[in-house]
Amino acid sequence: MNEAAETAGLVPGVPLADARAKALDLQVRAIDAAIDNAALRRLALWATRYTPTASPWSAENGADGFFLDVEGAAHLFGGEEALLADLSARLQKNFGLPARIAIASTPGAAWALSRFHAARNFILPGGHEAEALSPLRIEALRLSPGTCTTLRRLGFKTIGALIDKPRAPFAARFPAELLRRLDQALGRLDEPLVPIVAPPVYHSLRYFLEPIITQEAVIALARRLMQTLTRVLMRDGAGARALRLSLYRLDGAVETVDVALTLPTRNVAHVARLLDLKLEAQSAMDDAGFGFEAIGLAITRAEPMPAKQAEFDIRHRPEFAGTSATLFGADFRRATPDNESIERCAALIDTLRQRLGPHSVRWFTPVASHIPERAEALLPVSTSNAATLKATAAAEPEQNPRPLLMLPRAEPTEVMALIPDGPPRRFRWRGETYEVTGAQGPERIASEWWRNSDGHRSIEPTRDYYLVEDAGGHRFWLYREGLYERETAAARWFVQGLFA
Amino acid sequence: MPLGPAFSVLRNRTAVVEELRRLLPKMEGARKAAPIPFGLPAIDRYLPQGGLPGGALHEIVPEQDTLAAAFGFVVALLAGFASVRTLFFVIPAYGLRRYGRLYGHGVSALGLDPNRLLLVETAQRQDTLWAIEEALHSRAPAAVVGVTDKLDLRLSQRLQHAATDAGLPLFLLRPAEILQSSAAATRWRVGELPAARDRFGLIARARWRLMLERCRNGRAGEWMVEYDHVAHRFSLAAALADPALPRDANQKSIQQAG
Repeated sequence: MNEAAETAGLVPGVPLADARAKALDLQVRAIDAAIDNAALRRLALWATRYTPTASPWSAENGADGFFLDVEGAAHLFGGEEALLADLSARLQKNFGLPARIAIASTPGAAWALSRFHAARNFILPGGHEAEALSPLRIEALRLSPGTCTTLRRLGFKTIGALIDKPRAPFAARFPAELLRRLDQALGRLDEPLVPIVAPPVYHSLRYFLEPIITQEAVIALARRLMQTLTRVLMRDGAGARALRLSLYRLDGAVETVDVALTLPTRNVAHVARLLDLKLEAQSAMDDAGFGFEAIGLAITRAEPMPAKQAEFDIRHRPEFAGTSATLFGADFRRATPDNESIERCAALIDTLRQRLGPHSVRWFTPVASHIPERAEALLPVSTSNAATLKATAAAEPEQNPRPLLMLPRAEPTEVMALIPDGPPRRFRWRGETYEVTGAQGPERIASEWWRNSDGHRSIEPTRDYYLVEDAGGHRFWLYREGLYERETAAARWFVQGLFA
Repeated sequence: MPLGPAFSVLRNRTAVVEELRRLLPKMEGARKAAPIPFGLPAIDRYLPQGGLPGGALHEIVPEQDTLAAAFGFVVALLAGFASVRTLFFVIPAYGLRRYGRLYGHGVSALGLDPNRLLLVETAQRQDTLWAIEEALHSRAPAAVVGVTDKLDLRLSQRLQHAATDAGLPLFLLRPAEILQSSAAATRWRVGELPAARDRFGLIARARWRLMLERCRNGRAGEWMVEYDHVAHRFSLAAALADPALPRDANQKSIQQAG
């Protein structure tokens, strides 16, 4: 219902026919809760420009507004009055929403005042909840309709009628929600807010007089935000592991860019570069609209990071090369070259992953298996296993020959052998015939029967591996699948790898 | 440059040439990185810096359409290269499908710890070149190895500069039919040879034919080498080395060097 409908005298709960009689040009739309919810979510996301903790109302709160926790954020806007005025004006200007806003010390009181107070925008000083809420109707307590009706019948019309009554009879006769809501509104009971996005550990935000559009400008500002955050990180001995850049568009939409790091960092240049690459990859700047009016940089995950001097990149500059050790004394060199190269490696991995994708950088991990293609896994270097950059787990050395290159999957080949279970004499692979001059083997690798105990998969045939060399010196790894007369009548041959 | 005093003590022409050979690479700024030795005097003395220049681009071209020997050569070189730092291998996805992917147990069989390897998989050539350049600029790895099919002169100059600035060796594997000219410090053509066998007839050591086709400030050459992964050592393939070594003009100098 909009303002025009309200002036025409319409209220919720009136039958449609009556409403049409009151307002002749009434437009009717069916409620779509999903769309409403999505719009509310977008609005709450937009409101994170004021404070990181924005919580859209759930169904029991009416699902038509949101809470903002402005504790500690109001002074950034010149006090609570100024914040309220700014929020109200922006909601009207950007979204055309005539909002009712209240600021109070508890979510319950704020909810009640925003709905039932005479003034549109109202600020309640802390500690006056009881007086402010007393004249309001009991609906202001967010009770279920049944409870409200019963209270009304018993003559409790306002909250004030409930406040100083003995609690025991109410607790015995009414659902628990009555006293809970009352306590929450008065601040006797804590009401945790569920924020729309996880509140960041550190947060830095900047508003502009003129909207900015270009990616360079965004990166330059992100760099400055990171600089302010770096000071706080230094103070706390922490480094960022995950960051989120939020771009608040002029028309109310919010673009977010998330960046994860391999090792905690405080390096401004590194973060700026990662954001730059990610913006490019996400093409987030393609849809800048009329530009961004605010930019926020949040550290969503921080990890302890011991203070050290590595951030001064002075050593890598040619003009300081060689002089640094004497300039800064021995203390400057405390970071061992090993640690330093690990950090640089982590930075490089971050950079590569921003452009090539999270699974592009991988390393070998040995797996306890006899089947060659299962004997190792290529795992992406992820944030969880980055710590092992330092540790080098020694793989169990394989005594039998293993090829340097593995084909993605074993390729079938036609083989001529002198005896059915002997080594190959000649084989044809990828359209060429190879004469075998020397064959070494077989190395028999049986199926891993313990894997097949579930009975769902058939037992894989046994393989006989041969290292085969042709006249030109090419060395191949061939295997024959299946034992003659025991497992199969016609064994098949495969090329699986190439030796150096 | 303080060339004057250096020249004054030199008498004969060959000594001047030798001295120039020693000085010229320094003037080009390649002095930062230590050369990578083969550990094989016959080749190391042949190369102008006593090994492969450390901060430079090296091209490895396979003789046939397989990368096994080329990868084997690079892995063997890096295994002998004393460093604990990470090695970056930038390999395009289409190359993996065609030539196969590196197998950790095989890498370890050649004497290189597979834990030091980081594989970067790229989708297209621009990404490959970008990743190689990033890896060099970061100076994080001990060496960068890349696979790319096409490379023109300008791109190779760019990579060569990046490698020189970073003081890191870059090995570029180029499975290509037609090779354009490039700014690489060296170009090796690597071919497979029948392996060395032990007395039971089992394959003991891999053998490769190494052809040094281009070498800045140096000469071309050709060797038959075998690689012993246990000792991390290259050696000349004894039975085959002799007929292959003499190569007309180079013959004398090789005998001098060897």
